[in-house]
Amino acid sequence: MKIFQVALGILAAIGGFVDIGDLVFNSAAGATFGYQLLWVVVIGVIGIIVYSEMCGRIAAISKKAVFDAVRERVGFTAGLITLIAAQVVNLMTLAAEVGGVAICLRLLSGLPYRWLILLAIFALGVVVWVTSFEWIERIFGYGGLCLLVFAVAAIKLEPDWGDVAHGLVPHLETKDTLLYFYFAVGLLGAAMTPYEVYFYSSGGVEEEWTEKDIGLNRANAIIGYGLGGFLSFALMIVGGALFLPQGIEPETLGSIALGAQIPLGETGLVLALVGILLAVGGASIDTLFAGAYNFAQFFGWEWGRYRSAAGAPRFTLGWMVLLVLALGIVITGVDPVQLTEYAVIFSVVALPLTYLPILLVANDRAYMGSYVNGRLANVLGGVYLVVIVVISLTAIPLMILTNVGQG
Amino acid sequence: VRRATLLLVLLAFVAVGCNGGTVDQHALDKDSEAIDSLACEGALLAHEIANTASLTTFSRVHAGELYTRAANFQDALSTRPTTPRIEQAVREEAKKAGRIAALFDQLAADPSSPRLAAKLEPRFVKQGECE
Repeated sequence: MKIFQVALGILAAIGGFVDIGDLVFNSAAGATFGYQLLWVVVIGVIGIIVYSEMCGRIAAISKKAVFDAVRERVGFTAGLITLIAAQVVNLMTLAAEVGGVAICLRLLSGLPYRWLILLAIFALGVVVWVTSFEWIERIFGYGGLCLLVFAVAAIKLEPDWGDVAHGLVPHLETKDTLLYFYFAVGLLGAAMTPYEVYFYSSGGVEEEWTEKDIGLNRANAIIGYGLGGFLSFALMIVGGALFLPQGIEPETLGSIALGAQIPLGETGLVLALVGILLAVGGASIDTLFAGAYNFAQFFGWEWGRYRSAAGAPRFTLGWMVLLVLALGIVITGVDPVQLTEYAVIFSVVALPLTYLPILLVANDRAYMGSYVNGRLANVLGGVYLVVIVVISLTAIPLMILTNVGQG
Repeated sequence: VRRATLLLVLLAFVAVGCNGGTVDQHALDKDSEAIDSLACEGALLAHEIANTASLTTFSRVHAGELYTRAANFQDALSTRPTTPRIEQAVREEAKKAGRIAALFDQLAADPSSPRLAAKLEPRFVKQGECE
C-alpha cells in the first residue's frame, strides 16, 4: 500500500514538474547550446526537492500550506505583494498551459484552435468539479509517463555520451554569454516554479499527511522530481542531438513532438502528443488549484478539494474565476509558448518571497517541534535561497538584454 | 522597490515591443536564422512524410503553423523600415520567407502525399541551406 501511495505521488510530481515551460525551455536550450546546460537541470531538481520536502514536512506537522506560512511569517503587506506576484504569474502560467492543451488537441484533431480552447476550459472545469484528487493524479500522472518516449528518442538519436556527461559539469563554450545565462535562469525558474510548492504543500494538507507520512513525503519529492528532471534531461538531449545540428529552433509544441517522431516514427509522435497533452493538462489543474489555494490560505477562507463546493464556496469561486480569466487571456490569440517564457521569467522574480517563508517556518520549533530542519536541509536551503535571490535580480535584465532569448 | 520593479517590467515590455520597429543588421541576422530554421524543420517534416507513416492531421496542422510563421516574417520584412544600406537584403529575406511559406502551404494542402513531400524536401533544404 505504501508503495502504491509513493507511486501516486511520483506520478503527480511528474505531471506537475514537466509543464509547458519545461518542455519549451529544455528543448530550446538543447537546440541552442547542446548539452552544455544539463548541469542547470541538476541544480534545479535538487532545489525543488529540497524545498518540496520542506513544505511537505511543514504540511504534515503543522497542517499549514505555503501561503499560511507566507501570511504568518512575512506580514500582511509583504504577504500581499507576494500574493499578487504569485497570482499574476500563476494566471499567466495557467493561460499558457490551457493554450498548450488546445494546441495539442489541435495537433491531434485538426479542429479550430479557438474552439479547442473553449473545449479545454470546459473539460478542465468538469474534471476539477467531478474528479477526485486520486483520479486526477492517476489520469494526468500516468498520462505524463508517455513523455518517457523522449528518453527513448534521446537514446535512439545516439548522442555523444561523453559530451552529455561533460554537460553535467558547469562550463561555458559560447560567445553568447548573456543568452547562456538567460537560459540558465529560465531552466532554474522552470524547475522551481512557485506553483509546484503551492500545490504540493496544499495537497499534503488535503491528504491529511501526519508525521507518519514524513518518509512518504521525502520519497515523493526525491523520486518524483528526480523523474521529472530525468525527462528534462531527455528533452534537452533530443534538442542537442536532433535540432542543433540541423539549425532548427523548436518554438512550437509541434516541433517538440517532431523530436520524438524522427527517431521513433508515428508511435513516438502519438506518445509524445498524448504525453504533452496530459502533462500540460495536469499542470493546468495544478496551477488552477494553486491559485485558488493561495487566495483562500492568505485570506483565511475555507479551502480544499475534499470539501464540497458549498463547504468552501470562495475557494470554488476562486478557481472558477481563474479559469475564466485564463480563457480571457488565451482566447486573444496570444502565443502560449511565448506566454510561458514570460511566465517563467516573471516567476523567478517572485521566487524569494515564496521560498523564504518556507525556510523560516521549517526552522521554527513552535510550528515544527522536533521536525525542524536538520543541518543538511538548512545548508541546502540557505544556498538555494542565495541562488534564488541572485537569479531573481538578474532574470528581467537578462530577458531585456537577450530580447526574450532571441539573442 | 515596487517602483523599481514596475520600471523593470515596463522596460521589458518596451524592449520587446521595440522588436517590431526598424530592422538593423542584428535583427536581420536573427530573422534570417529563424527563417532558415523554419525551412530546415520543413525539410525534416517533409522527409518524415515522404519516408515513414506520419499522422496526416499532425502534418497538416504543423505545416500550417510553420506556414503562418514564415508568412509573418514575409509580411514584417516586406514592410518594416530598415537602417540604411540593408534595405535590399531585408526585402530579399522577405522574398525568401515567402518562398518558404509557399512550400509549407503546399505541404499543408496535401500532407498525405509522400510523392509531394519528397519533391518539397530538397526545396526546403535549398532555401534553408540545411545540413
